Amino acid sequence: MSDQGPDLRSGGEPEGAVEIHEHQEAVSRDVRTEEMVFNMGPQHPATHGVLRVAVRTDGEYVRALQPHVGNLHRCVEKIGESLPYYQWVPYLDRMDYLAAICNEHVGCMAIERLGGLEVPERAEYIRVITAEVQRILSHLMAIGVYGLDLGAFTPFLHQFRERERGMDLLDHLSGGRLLYHYIRIGGVKRDVSQDWLDELEAWLADVERRLPEYNTLLLHNRVFQERTFHVGLMDREVATRWGVTGPALRAAGVDWDCRRDAPYSIYDRFDFDVPCGASDIGGEVGDCFQRHWVRVREIEESLKIIRQALAQMPEGPVMGRVPKGFKPPAGEVYVRGENPRGELACYMVSVGKSDKAWRARCRGPSFSNIACITEVAEGQLIGDLVALIGSLDIVLGEVDR
Amino acid sequence: MAETADTPAAPPSDPLTERALDVLRTAHPEAVVASELGGRHPWIQVRVEDLRAACRLLRDHDELRMDCCHLISGVDWPEAGEGGEIEVVYHLCSFQILPDDAYRKRAEKNDPWVALKVRVPREKPEVPTVLDIWTGADWHERETWDLVGVRFTGRRELRRILLPDDWPGHPLRKDWEYPASYHGVPIIPPEGL
Repeated sequence: MSDQGPDLRSGGEPEGAVEIHEHQEAVSRDVRTEEMVFNMGPQHPATHGVLRVAVRTDGEYVRALQPHVGNLHRCVEKIGESLPYYQWVPYLDRMDYLAAICNEHVGCMAIERLGGLEVPERAEYIRVITAEVQRILSHLMAIGVYGLDLGAFTPFLHQFRERERGMDLLDHLSGGRLLYHYIRIGGVKRDVSQDWLDELEAWLADVERRLPEYNTLLLHNRVFQERTFHVGLMDREVATRWGVTGPALRAAGVDWDCRRDAPYSIYDRFDFDVPCGASDIGGEVGDCFQRHWVRVREIEESLKIIRQALAQMPEGPVMGRVPKGFKPPAGEVYVRGENPRGELACYMVSVGKSDKAWRARCRGPSFSNIACITEVAEGQLIGDLVALIGSLDIVLGEVDR
Repeated sequence: MAETADTPAAPPSDPLTERALDVLRTAHPEAVVASELGGRHPWIQVRVEDLRAACRLLRDHDELRMDCCHLISGVDWPEAGEGGEIEVVYHLCSFQILPDDAYRKRAEKNDPWVALKVRVPREKPEVPTVLDIWTGADWHERETWDLVGVRFTGRRELRRILLPDDWPGHPLRKDWEYPASYHGVPIIPPEGL
C-alpha cells in the first residue's frame, strides 16, 4: 500500500485551544508541546483487531486522527455475487464473528424475502432464541473486553465462564463454536431437543444470577466510573449524522431499536424495553459509561425475550419448502436487523432466472460506528481514545468484510 | 410507475416513500425521473444533477427528517442504456421521526426507510458527493468508489478504503477480470466463478 505513512487531514496549526473536560484539567494547558504523528495499530491490543489509527497528538491530546481499515477484507460482496445464495450464507457468519447467528438471520431474511419464501413458526422462534443467546454472548464479550481495555483483567476472565457455556449451547445445536451456519434459507438446520431447552433455562438463570456480580466489578466500580464518565462524548446529532447505530446510538439518547420499531421476524410478539442513555444513570448522555450501561441492560432484555419465546414456542417443522435450485424472481430487497453492534442491513438485487445474486450488499454496523471517531476523538486525551474505541465495540471482520 | 390504486393486484404503496415523492415533486418538479411506490422495495429515482438538492430536502423537511444515510450502494448494469449504466442507491432513514403502529404492522415493508436512486453512464460515473449532508456518507462513498468505481465529485480525497491503493480496477464491475498476479503473488480465480 502506498499510504503506509500517516495520512492526516492537513491541519497546520491547531485552531484555538482544545476543549477539555473538568477532570482533565490536572494536565496543565500551558506546557509547550510538540505535535507528533504516530500509528496506533494495526497490531495493538486496544484496537480490537487490525485497525490502524494514525493519530496526530499535541502532548497528551489528540488533535486529529484517521482510521485506516481494510486489512481484513475478504470480498464478502464479491463472493455474494459469485456463489449461489445458499452457499453465501456461511460467509455472512464470518463478517461479525461474534454475532454469527444474527448475521445469518438478517442474510437469510433478505434472501427469503427476495424469493418470497415462508419460514415455519417454530423456526422463527428458534431463530429469535438463538439470536438473543448470541446477543448475550456478544455483549458479555464486549463488557469483558472493555474492562480489559481499561485495565481490569478480572471481569474478562469471569465473563468467559458464562460465555463458554453459552457457546456450548450453540455448539450442541450446530456443531460449531463460533461460526454456526445454523440458520438456513427457509428455516433452521435442526430442531431443538427438550434437553437443550432445559440446559438453556439453566444457563439463563445463571446469567441472571451472575450479572450483578459483573456489575460490581465494572458498572458500579468507582475506578471504572471515573475512567468512563464524560469520556468520548457523542451526542444525538453527531451519532445520527455519522450513521452510528446500536447501543452507541441508544446511549446517545435515541430511542430506536429495529426489533421494536421496525420489527422483523417475530419480534413484535415480545414485550421488552429498549434501554437508552439518560442523565440519571450516571455520567452523561452519550459517554463511554452509558454505552457500557446500555449493553448491560440489553443482556437483561435479551433474557426477557428468550423466556417469552420459550413460553410461546409452538411445535412443528423447522424447515420450510425451499425449491431445489432456488432462483428468486427479479427484484430487490433491503432488510435490516438489530445486531449486537448495531444495524446490519442487506441490500440484495436479483435479476431472476439465476441462483446467484446480481448484487449482494451488506451494511456492517461496525463500519459506520468506527468512522465517527475522527470527529468524536478530537481533543480527547490519548488514553481516552482507547476508552472510546473500546466502548464502540467494533469487530474488524465486519468493518472490512 | 406503480400508482394503480384501482387494480386489486397492485401492491399497496409505501406511505413514507409516497410522502417523500410528494415533497420532491413539489419542490423540484423536474427532478424525479421514475419511481416505484409499492412492493418490497419502493424507490425514487432522481436526476443526478438534482441529487444534492433532493437529499438536502429530505433531510431538512419537517415531516421526513432523514437524518441518517444508512447505506450507499453501487450496482453495475452493463446492459442498461447506451453503453451501460451504474446505479447508486441511497438508503435514508430518520431517527427523529419514528413510525407509528399502523406503519409497523404493514407486512410488505415495515421498515421506515426511503431509497433514492441515481443512474449515471458507465463511462463517466460521476455523482456529486453528499458528504456535507451526512458525514457518515464518507466511508460508504469511498467503498463505492473502491469496489464499484463510482467517482464522487466535490469532496475531499476519494481514496480506496478496503482494497490496496494500487489494486487494479473495481472488482464489483461486471466486466472486471482477475489480474494474473499482484506484486508477484499469482492470483488464481476460484473455480467456477
